[in-house]
Amino acid sequence: MAKFLLIFCSVLGSLFAIEMLNPVQQAVIQPFTVLLANISTAVIVPFDDTVIAQGRILRDATTGFAVSIEAGCNGVEAAIVLIAGIVAFPASVQHKVIAILAGFVFVQALNIVRIISLFYLGQWNYTVFEWFHLYLWPVLIMLDVLVVFAIYLQWLGKRHPEAQPT
Amino acid sequence: MLMRRQFVLTLILMPITFGIWYAAGALFSAPAVWLCDALLQAVYPHLIDSVWLQGMKMGALTQFGMLEEEVVAASAAGNQIELDINTRLVSYSIAFYAALLMASNLQNGFYKFCIGLFCLWLVMAFGLASIAAKDLLVMVGAPFLSAPRVPPADLLALTYQFNVLLMPTLAPVCLWVWQLRGSPLWEALASDIRRASAQV
Repeated sequence: MAKFLLIFCSVLGSLFAIEMLNPVQQAVIQPFTVLLANISTAVIVPFDDTVIAQGRILRDATTGFAVSIEAGCNGVEAAIVLIAGIVAFPASVQHKVIAILAGFVFVQALNIVRIISLFYLGQWNYTVFEWFHLYLWPVLIMLDVLVVFAIYLQWLGKRHPEAQPT
Repeated sequence: MLMRRQFVLTLILMPITFGIWYAAGALFSAPAVWLCDALLQAVYPHLIDSVWLQGMKMGALTQFGMLEEEVVAASAAGNQIELDINTRLVSYSIAFYAALLMASNLQNGFYKFCIGLFCLWLVMAFGLASIAAKDLLVMVGAPFLSAPRVPPADLLALTYQFNVLLMPTLAPVCLWVWQLRGSPLWEALASDIRRASAQV
C-alpha cells in the first residue's frame, strides 16, 4: 500500500508538472483540446448543424453562444489521475498500456458528453450550467476514473483466477 | 457486485448530499476559511491584511492598492485591493465525500465522516489559499511575485491546478478508500487487488 501511494503521488506530481510546461502545452495539450472541440462538434452536427468549432471554442452560429474548453475541462487532469493509479499498481507493462489507452478513451468519451451537455445547458440556463460545470461534472468525471480503475482491477483478477487466495 | 452497488448508490445519493451542501450555505465553508485566514496571516501577513466570510464568498483584503491605474503598496495607494473568492469551488468536495461514504454504509459512519470533514477542511483551506494566490498573480502581477516568500508563477499555477482543479474530487476518494478498510466492500476490493497483483 505504501509503495502504491509513493508511486501514485510521484507519477501524479510529475505528470502534472510536465503537463504545465509551456512546450507540452503548445505541442500536446492545446492541439488535443482543439481535437476535443472538433470531435464534440462532429458528434453534435448530425443533430444540430448550427454548431461550429473555432479552435477550442464551440459556437452556435445562430445565437452566437460559445463555450471555450479551458484547462481542467479537457479531461487531461482526470486522465493523469487514472494513469498514476494504473502505473502505481503492480501489473505487466502490456496490461498497463492496454489499461491506460482504454481508460483514456473511456474518460474522454464521458468528457465529450460533458462538453456537449455544458454547451446546451449554457444556452438554456446559466445557473444550471454553472452548477454542472463547477460542481457536478468534475465529480462525475472522478467517479468515471474510479469506475475505470475498479474495472481494471477486476479485469486483471479475472485473467488470473487461479491466483485467488483460498 | 458490491462495487457496482457502491457506484449506483453514490449517484443516487449525490442529489441529496449536494442539496444539503447547497442549503447549508456557509456552514461547511466557514472552518476552511478560518484555517485559510490563519495560514495566510501566519505566512503572508505582508500580502494579506484580513480574511472574512460573507455568505458563500471569502473576502480577502490585500496589502496592495491602485494608484493612477498602477498596483502599488496599499500604504502608498491609500486603498486596498479586495479579493472575492467563491468558497463553493472547493467545498463541493464535502458533498461528494458524503455521497461516497453514505453509499458504503460503513460502521461508525458519522464518526468517520467527522474525521474526513476535518481533513477536507484542511485541503479546502489550501485550495482557497491557492485561489487567492492565483487572483493576486492575475490582478497584482509583478509586485506580488517580487514580495518575500512568494513562489515563482509556474509553481503558483501548478499549485492552483492541483489544489483547486484536482483535490476537491481526488481528496474525497482518497479519504473514502482509507476509511473503507475492514468493510465488506474493502474485502471485495482487496480480493481483486490480491488476485490482480498475484500475477506479477
